[in-house]
Amino acid sequence: MDNEDQFRLLAKLIVIGLLATMTSLLATAADSSPQVVLNTSTARPRAVESLTERSLCRDYKFAWANLAQAMESNSNDLLSGLFAGAANTWLNDAITNQRRNGLTSRYLNQTHKLDAVFYAPEGDVIELHDTADYDLQILDGNRTIDNEHVRVRYVVLMTPGADRWVIRQLQAVPRF
Amino acid sequence: MTVLSSLSLAAIAYSQVGDLAGPSNVVAGSSASIATTGSGTGMFYLIGPSVSLKREIKLGEEIVLASSELQNAGRYVGIVCAGACHSTEVFVIPAKPVSLTFLVHPSRAPVDQSDVISGVALPFDEFHNLALGTIEVSFQLTPRGAAPVSHPASTQGGIAWFRANSGRSARPLLVTASAEGVSAVRVVQQVASDPCGLHIKGQRTTKGIVVETEPVRDCGGNPVPDGTIVTFTARNGTETSTVDAPIKQDIARATLTTNGPVVVSAASGVVMGNELRMGAQ
Repeated sequence: MDNEDQFRLLAKLIVIGLLATMTSLLATAADSSPQVVLNTSTARPRAVESLTERSLCRDYKFAWANLAQAMESNSNDLLSGLFAGAANTWLNDAITNQRRNGLTSRYLNQTHKLDAVFYAPEGDVIELHDTADYDLQILDGNRTIDNEHVRVRYVVLMTPGADRWVIRQLQAVPRF
Repeated sequence: MTVLSSLSLAAIAYSQVGDLAGPSNVVAGSSASIATTGSGTGMFYLIGPSVSLKREIKLGEEIVLASSELQNAGRYVGIVCAGACHSTEVFVIPAKPVSLTFLVHPSRAPVDQSDVISGVALPFDEFHNLALGTIEVSFQLTPRGAAPVSHPASTQGGIAWFRANSGRSARPLLVTASAEGVSAVRVVQQVASDPCGLHIKGQRTTKGIVVETEPVRDCGGNPVPDGTIVTFTARNGTETSTVDAPIKQDIARATLTTNGPVVVSAASGVVMGNELRMGAQ
């Protein structure tokens, strides 16, 4: 094997290695992002258009991914534009208080089963019921003080913004 | 790790988790306490929708949660660590509603249309929690100078709504939502619908043909709002010229600069007017 062949073999190995790493990273990212399923068949009085359904699903998933990041890194910036009104105030307060006390929270392996239960006649507000499953870890510094798998039911109000749906109310309830 | 017992607004049930016993539900803005066992000191954490607090406690004593710490409805986790950690779950449920978010559409509605007006009411307590229990909401539609019409409704999942026809007369409509002593008012301006027939008249002057409509009204006799556009069209053989004129005080007026014989017509929206034949100057 001359030098040129060795160089080609090395280049091939590097490319294969890079591809394997990227595939692995993408798979990890896909696994850690929230899984969201939305059922709009129960929405009343207005039916949810398919484009709206896709937007709701996308924006809700994005909001929860950012919420998880914000609660883990104690960064308020990650919430901007995805939450509004009471939901925005509460989450920002939670992060500020976490930071003050040296606490962090991790929302892992999230799955959200959403049912649209009310869609306003003019399409300016939608109520969703989210049955969320996730692993919640609460840490004081580096020490895990709580680690549990929880199923939490949320009543969610979303309103359309300029280019996305924003969460205005994210209220956990004992049952629907 | 966490056990939920059946919940009730009136009664507070207790759930025992490890070394902690706390209420399973608390009304927003109320104080509560969590009982602990053991001796010595420990660290108490409370994690809730907007709360993340941490304080040292004496084991064996009750942990008092102030009303200011339990204002936002949702799931709270109380954790006590003294060596090992134990947690308990508490739900804060909304208090009595003190305000209504009331969305009404549209702000201007054409008269005599079916299901054109709709409203959505959402009751909130003083801490901006959506009140989720069933609440009777009365929607009242009062045209100015006329008797009100009621649309009773109940909230489902914190929302009540109605849909209604617009009235026959162009006048303001007061829309009120009332629930548990709280009310919110919105005003819908009922305006004339599309013009109903369009009659024009004209005369030739030295500057051209001055054409104007008779007072433009909808089919219910309501004057069409100022600013509604009427398009005048003058045809002379194959030549056509158009002028858009807004209605001002019920009448739209325009001057068509043409010398030859023309046929003038008018249209507003989907409504056509009569044709006017004018001879040459």
